[in-house]
Amino acid sequence: MATVRLFSVGRLASPIIRNGLQTASAVPVIQSRSHFKQVGRPEPTWSTKELSELTVKTALWTEVMSGMLVVFGQGLKEPATINYPFEKGPLSPRFRGEHALRRYPSGEERCIACKLCEAICPAQAITIEAEPRADGSRRTTRYDIDMTKCIYCGFCQEACPVDAIVEGPNFEYSTETREELLYNKEKLLSNGDRWEVEIAANIQADHLYR
Amino acid sequence: MKILFYSIDEIKEGRLVGEDDYGNKYYENNYYFFSSNRWVRYNPNVNMEYDGSQVPPEWHRWLHYITDEPPSTHPPELKKWMQPHKPNMSGTDKKYVPYSTTKPKVDVWQPSQGK
Repeated sequence: MATVRLFSVGRLASPIIRNGLQTASAVPVIQSRSHFKQVGRPEPTWSTKELSELTVKTALWTEVMSGMLVVFGQGLKEPATINYPFEKGPLSPRFRGEHALRRYPSGEERCIACKLCEAICPAQAITIEAEPRADGSRRTTRYDIDMTKCIYCGFCQEACPVDAIVEGPNFEYSTETREELLYNKEKLLSNGDRWEVEIAANIQADHLYR
Repeated sequence: MKILFYSIDEIKEGRLVGEDDYGNKYYENNYYFFSSNRWVRYNPNVNMEYDGSQVPPEWHRWLHYITDEPPSTHPPELKKWMQPHKPNMSGTDKKYVPYSTTKPKVDVWQPSQGK
């Protein structure tokens, strides 16, 4: 009832407002349009045949059915995905994965603590401390890589003059805790001892391009 | 067989290329499309605890299509300082825990040492 009341008040009020506006503007301008141009898409004109075809298409769901046929056909095709832990995707011999410190064939560790990798590391993930060993050779006492900082750019293995630090082919070293990714020298050396078979073969496979 | 299908999710026929020291068997069938034509069947003893990191490096290289020569026909040259493969131990009590490999720069005074 209130809406009706309001509406009636509005109707009563509108001529008053309009008259007021008209008195405010000196000359009332009333636009009149005699003809229109259709600028949008023209209305389709259906012939009887077209109309009957459209009716049949809509009623029998032919487009839905042809879509379902495509889905069924794709289901028969061999999938492009791989069954990961059993099948694995192709890798390059240059793949940059988990770091490793290598040894010479004699078993002597390669790293001479020149700290070039520490200097070039853009993420500053490498920390090195060095001391002369008992036999007088200069070796690292600390070689830490923060794998959470590392951006796997591969600059460390490019910088290394003795091919000691390399990024191996292993990428399946995800951990449950953050601290397990703070690698120390022992961990890196044992990575090298475990993966040397593949690291050496990959370097051998790629040596013509280096 | 039922458990095998449950764990692998597919039935595939292939040629047995070789078996590694940990009981994982490697198969190949070039009828399948590239990247699903080589596969590993993990040691049945690990049951559902299989993991991608259980593949040792020499077979890792073949399984990732870096080489076409499996270690069964081209055995790698082994040095005596090389260590056996270890899978990713994260989440178990054998996980890697970081520690410092240097002596601390500041020693803590022990009362028993005297001055």
